[in-house]
Amino acid sequence: MSDLNSLLPILWGGFCTTLAIFALTLLFSIPLGLLVAVLKMSRYRIVRYPVSFYISVMRGTPLLLQIVAIYFGSYYLSEYTGVEFSFDRFPAVIVAFSINYAAYFAEIFRGGIQSIPKGQYEAAAMLGLTRGQTFYRIILPQVVKRVVPASANEVITLVKDTSLAQVIAVTELFALAKKQQAAYASIYPLFVAGVFYYIANLLLSVLFAYVERKLNYYK
Amino acid sequence: MDSQVQSVIINDASQDSAPILQVKHLKKSFGDLHVLKDISFDLNAGEVLSIIGPSGSGKSTLLRCLTQLETFEAGEVRVDGKDMVVPGSCIGGKIKYAPAKTLRDIRLSTGLVFQNFNLFPHLTVLQNLTLAPIRVLHDSREDARALARFLLKQMGLEGKEKSYPCELSGGQQQRVSIARALALKPRILFFDEPTSALDPELTGEVLKIIKKLAEDRMTMVIVTHEMAFARDVANKVMFMDQGVVVEQGTPDFVFNRSQNKRLSAFLERFSRT
Repeated sequence: MSDLNSLLPILWGGFCTTLAIFALTLLFSIPLGLLVAVLKMSRYRIVRYPVSFYISVMRGTPLLLQIVAIYFGSYYLSEYTGVEFSFDRFPAVIVAFSINYAAYFAEIFRGGIQSIPKGQYEAAAMLGLTRGQTFYRIILPQVVKRVVPASANEVITLVKDTSLAQVIAVTELFALAKKQQAAYASIYPLFVAGVFYYIANLLLSVLFAYVERKLNYYK
Repeated sequence: MDSQVQSVIINDASQDSAPILQVKHLKKSFGDLHVLKDISFDLNAGEVLSIIGPSGSGKSTLLRCLTQLETFEAGEVRVDGKDMVVPGSCIGGKIKYAPAKTLRDIRLSTGLVFQNFNLFPHLTVLQNLTLAPIRVLHDSREDARALARFLLKQMGLEGKEKSYPCELSGGQQQRVSIARALALKPRILFFDEPTSALDPELTGEVLKIIKKLAEDRMTMVIVTHEMAFARDVANKVMFMDQGVVVEQGTPDFVFNRSQNKRLSAFLERFSRT
């Protein structure tokens, strides 16, 4: 029990870093994902192709590698170009997570946007709504309802993926738990960390179930 | 009658001699398939035109061209004195559409009632009706709501304003969509098979509303498979087959006196089923 008393404050500190990565990633990746989704549906190939390439790289390579690439890549880039520029560890993690998750969200959002029947656009056009009005007042509200379940999956995965930040020595929850594992010579701290992740995701599941119920006012 | 209904159905041009809708030599194809071959007709304000014909005859495509949901390759369309196409521009092969401002004016003077209603499912009945008047015509919220309530009453949908479309029957949804189109006070209202997606027992309530609009002298173009309705409601009936207008005239002429073989074969098929 005394173990837990000393362990909890340490892990709580790591959990706060985990939460920061989580929250900032969502903050940046959701709007970016929406933008990427819209760009991927562009009628111009010159817009569509690079966006497709970006999505395929983000989804086709490990997030772990992307974190390393952003962090050390920026360092090497400034070496070569002579421009003084490199990411600190934490911002590098946020950038890597945001652009990675944006790619996944983009595909979810694109699926949602394309699932809206053509008749909705036609009805809006007949009523004289502009393209912007149609998107924000007719299409997007319906897309939100359709993408909530799939987005919940991504958000829950994100909670657990934050542990990858340790690859560039960001002291989030899992990194600290591992350090304590060595100190205690026991896997017990890892289990406690597991409970943290689990409770966080339990709360998120409840939240998403609530949101889904709220959006159920129409079919 | 309430002052508002007079503002919904505007017929000041009814004494005017020029038809409110003029279509000349309209042609439309999808690739090699010529869907509309050479369509011409006129419609005066306050008149109702029924378009009948077998599936694939081009009826719906014609409606979609006139409401700008599809583009066409040749011909002229004039709505309420405004040309959809720059006059004389189709000589060199391709037509040139009118400037965006004109097209928008034309669009706002035409309403379309869809086969599948296409109501906005995330908005209440009232919001479906007030969205465009508020956002497009910049009416005040109060005016838009008052007009919407008035129209709902006309449609026999009092008390449904807070409902969502999914809570209504098909017939009620279609009546909401008619009200939504009327809320913009269009000069011409187009109907694309307005009862085809309805259960048979619900078609009557929608047809009754359209008949009432006809009595109030709303200018309408109705594509329908309801032959009795097409005959009763219309001043003019047009029979289309394979992209051409085979026969047009008064309901009495088209349904009773025309000698056209394709038309009588079509009507024969219909009366048997």
